[in-house]
Amino acid sequence: MKTSMKLLALALCTTLSGALSAAPAALPKDLPPYGEDKPLPVAQIGKKTLPNGLEVWVVPRDGMPRVDYVLAVRNAGFAADAADAPGFASLFAGLLAEGTAQRDSRAIAETAQSFGGSVGASASNDGVMVYADALTSHAAPMLELLAEIVRTPTFPENEVRLAQANALQALKAAEAQPSFKATRALLAATYGDHPYARVQQTEASIAGVTPAALREAHALRFHPDRALLVVTGRVAPTEAFRLAEAAFGDWKALGAEAPDTPAAPRSVTPSRVLIQRDGSVQSTLRIGRPAIPATDPDYVPAILAGTVLGGGFSSRVNQNLREDKGYTYGASAGFAPSRVGGRVQAGADVRNEVTGASLKEFFAEFERLADEPVPEQELLDTKRYVAGGYLISNQLQGAVAATLASNWLVGLPSDFLASYVPRIREVEAAQVQAIARRYFDPEQQSIVVVGDGPAIAEQLEPYGEFKAVE
Amino acid sequence: MKPYRTAWLLSMLLCAAPAFAADSDRWDIPVAVKKLDNGLTVVVSEDRSSPVIGVSVVYGIGMRLEPRNRTGFAHLFEHLMFEGSENAPEGVFDRVITGGGGRNNGSTRPDFTNYIEIAPSSAIEPILWLEADRMTMLDFNPATLKNQQDVVKEEIRVNVQNQPYGGFMWLDVGFNAFEKWENNHDGYGSFEDLESATLDDVKAFHRDYYGPNNAVLGLAGDITPEQGFALAEKYFGEITARPVPEGPDFSEGLNTKEKRIQQPDKLAQVPAIAMSWKMPDRGSRDQPAMSVLGALLANGDASRLYQGLVKGRELALNVDSLYGLTSEWEYNGPTLFTVFALYKPTTDADAVVAAVDEEVAKIVAEGVDNATLARIKTQLLADWYNGMESFVSRADNLAKLQLLWGDANVANEIPGWIDAVSSQDVQRAASTYLTAANRTVIDRVPEAMLAARDAAPPAND
Repeated sequence: MKTSMKLLALALCTTLSGALSAAPAALPKDLPPYGEDKPLPVAQIGKKTLPNGLEVWVVPRDGMPRVDYVLAVRNAGFAADAADAPGFASLFAGLLAEGTAQRDSRAIAETAQSFGGSVGASASNDGVMVYADALTSHAAPMLELLAEIVRTPTFPENEVRLAQANALQALKAAEAQPSFKATRALLAATYGDHPYARVQQTEASIAGVTPAALREAHALRFHPDRALLVVTGRVAPTEAFRLAEAAFGDWKALGAEAPDTPAAPRSVTPSRVLIQRDGSVQSTLRIGRPAIPATDPDYVPAILAGTVLGGGFSSRVNQNLREDKGYTYGASAGFAPSRVGGRVQAGADVRNEVTGASLKEFFAEFERLADEPVPEQELLDTKRYVAGGYLISNQLQGAVAATLASNWLVGLPSDFLASYVPRIREVEAAQVQAIARRYFDPEQQSIVVVGDGPAIAEQLEPYGEFKAVE
Repeated sequence: MKPYRTAWLLSMLLCAAPAFAADSDRWDIPVAVKKLDNGLTVVVSEDRSSPVIGVSVVYGIGMRLEPRNRTGFAHLFEHLMFEGSENAPEGVFDRVITGGGGRNNGSTRPDFTNYIEIAPSSAIEPILWLEADRMTMLDFNPATLKNQQDVVKEEIRVNVQNQPYGGFMWLDVGFNAFEKWENNHDGYGSFEDLESATLDDVKAFHRDYYGPNNAVLGLAGDITPEQGFALAEKYFGEITARPVPEGPDFSEGLNTKEKRIQQPDKLAQVPAIAMSWKMPDRGSRDQPAMSVLGALLANGDASRLYQGLVKGRELALNVDSLYGLTSEWEYNGPTLFTVFALYKPTTDADAVVAAVDEEVAKIVAEGVDNATLARIKTQLLADWYNGMESFVSRADNLAKLQLLWGDANVANEIPGWIDAVSSQDVQRAASTYLTAANRTVIDRVPEAMLAARDAAPPAND
């Protein structure tokens, strides 16, 4: 039936995943050993900076007949949104491809379709990424279309109005998802007043969007000297640079620069929130605290620690809560890094009767990671798992482009992609324990529960006083 | 309309070419097939671009053939396949694969159950050993059965009971559209049936359906066909073939009377609609035409229904389409083409259905212009290649095509079948399949909204 939890884990897994808890089962005597590892392929990245400051990176590949583009723009995402306009950046990104000086929304969609690809954009904390892909024979015109969307969006009145109306309905639909409410509450508990807390739209922020505000944001946020174009696929670097120069060489900033994002908190007073959901048959549990930016020296050991604890199917929390106890369809934990701060998040959806028991198991796993060194075999298995994730995602050219661009947005250099696996291999068990003590101390975690309060209140009592929210 | 023109010109250029794609867009996927003496079919697709291997073992058993009083059993059994054997106790399977740098998963569909892994190619031998081991035997024990009954129930809670819409666009449409039990029962299962499953059921299911002669092994990536065939022989060659029970005839004709159902939803905030039509049989000449028609109607922002319902009439928030639980090429019995949309509270299901009917009627009357047809074909070609990029998808897709079509080389024929579809074919498909009589419609409305409607009927009611 709809894919088991494992595929969901696969999707989440670029930086996460695990190895067995407790004493690992003995391996069968007939099981053949792993073969010799082949060297990690390192993406050869051709680089050039255009005179207007736009960086262009090209990763040529021989695989399928497709070219992938990602244009990333720094300081253009949620962190640049005004306090009273949370989630503005996602409407902004979504409307880029809904009209340009040359083409209306329908013509953009049809043109992209005729190239055997698509164009679109999305916002994250630290930036906006505009994506495009096309069959090889349409690589050049697709890059022109991408440039048109990046440089000359018009934010037509009718499209803005329709996007607002649909966003309001989509918000209503999202409000019915327990995970949506849980995420909002956990971000608030983690980041307080910092803009990283404000990534979800509100009715008021949707209503406040106007074509003028979008055009102003475009002028302020989209600057070539704060942008990176990544090209991967069946294209030679010289050709890609030539295409990039033709499409973006005369791109100029239209306004002043948006300010940098202030540093995010590294610690907060933990909170307890219970969001009432009448008749809910499950409790949606989220646990978290502020942590580190991607550029922090702790980041690489943190990837490994997060993977042991809660990345992927074989991680400790999933093995414990799903495989051992049968409390949940899936449990996870790990780090989410951003440019000026990051966070820890753990969670699971569990049936009502085991809400308290599940929190207990999460915290027991947090403590075990701090109290006991990860056994050698588990550490080794987890390192191989991270290396495998690198190989698997590098096999996909769109994923390579997106990873390079998102690393760049959070401040990581291009060689981070190739260097993190060797650096992961150097991490020692004592470092993992130190990470656990620093970031997984149960005392320091906020807890958010979305569920049926009367059914679960008693079980939450040992975890402090929960503020009830409707 | 000016913006139209650019696209039209571009598409005309495409049309002028003898084939619908430029030579630089061609990608012949290597496919090598061999059948072992015990009936296991092996498909290998070599690709040395990365030291990674995708593995898929697809069994010819799915929800259609599960026991009558054991709804959800095929899927429960899929979970049990990860719970260990006498040789490899619980936990070994995941540990060896993740410890080898890999990921694994499984899924259950009407006509097959698949088990997939992707890993650095250094892990290929342990992976094949483990797959062969669980094909040979399982550790049938009460503890793992109970544990996975609980996990499956949590899966149903998270995906159905605690979820707005509850998967009605892929579950309930099938319960209502099909006539025969094999096609219309709940493949997720009732809690009662799931709880009633016994170890004897598990043993019998494994014996009957999980033999090598009812399976295809797909390998894609860092391996030659010779290596792949030799490894398959080494690890699977000793497993003996087992008789597979003959299944019932689950074929059905098209429906002859429309079904309209309204369902209340206690968790949703926004109403939704699913419209489903029975598809042509696998291998029918109408199948490629349905693929083109489905894309024309509902594939992406350029599609007729997106432009007509989300833009245009502004009735819907989104339009998605589904081909049952699989794709338009991966079924072996009755399946559905389904259009799913969230619609605005300011309108109703009748208006959405009428708008879809108008778009379909236009196609029936006028067919599809050359420029649009060319665009759709280009998109479908690209989609087909995209679905083959990841080694694990490639291994899995080829194994499924081998199982369902008896020939994995279909992978290289489908682009040509799509290319051959004419406007008349699309018209014929629309008038044959997308009829009111062949349609099942579910209108899924938030409970509160239904209550309000009942309390205050519209003036013209």
